[in-house]
Amino acid sequence: MSPWGAETASAGGGATSDHEHLEAGAPGAETEPDARYTLANERTFLAWNRTALALVVAGLGIVQLLPPFPGVPWGRHVLGVPLIAFGAVVGVAAYGELRRNQTAMRRGQPLPRSLLPRVLAGVITGVAVLAAVVLLVSAVR
Amino acid sequence: MPPEDPEDSDPGLARERTRLAWARTAIAFAAVGAVVLRKELVAGLIVVAMAPTIWWAGRFASRASGPEVRPRRLLLVTAAVTTVALLAILVALLARSPDSLDQLLPRHG
Repeated sequence: MSPWGAETASAGGGATSDHEHLEAGAPGAETEPDARYTLANERTFLAWNRTALALVVAGLGIVQLLPPFPGVPWGRHVLGVPLIAFGAVVGVAAYGELRRNQTAMRRGQPLPRSLLPRVLAGVITGVAVLAAVVLLVSAVR
Repeated sequence: MPPEDPEDSDPGLARERTRLAWARTAIAFAAVGAVVLRKELVAGLIVVAMAPTIWWAGRFASRASGPEVRPRRLLLVTAAVTTVALLAILVALLARSPDSLDQLLPRHG
């Protein structure tokens, strides 16, 4: 028995309480995955949350630590506030992903595809384009 | 013959990596708190106080606990990140932004 056996055996309550009565692999059967996979899922979740914090601090830094763009008084807010708001979205979405991944692992299904990396890339590209626009407007004025 | 995956011989490594990930997350909260602290004392203190809370949650989450306990600890991280984002939006919109570099440079030393 692996060292993980104790943890699996201590799993009580909820949907897993009757997993001993179900044949592993049977339709609808849910068994706790190897603890290493659960821990990896947890680390991924924490990494997304650090990404969310980085987005928040980047947005806050733009608004509160940068000097204003000459001629574009709204420039800092238009760049910073969306970054902060998106940070909150990433934090909440990361929890949804954690639960979805854990459920899929319990059922032995392939992990669901994640939209988060694509959305993150899109938002960062959008903010970069917006920053270029703000700089151009500031240079023209 | 040695196992192909080092974790097969020492599965504690996964737990150790996860503990370090919690520590990194707690440090990230402290760093964000320091930035907020520069502008707003109360909001900054709230964010800085989240660092030891996350650290504490990580210590317990890394221990063996039932599958229904873990998500609740993790939900704490999501709640903390959301709160930080809300505070940051308030600080960004309500606190006075610097008018020029001169207001920033002396504070850098």
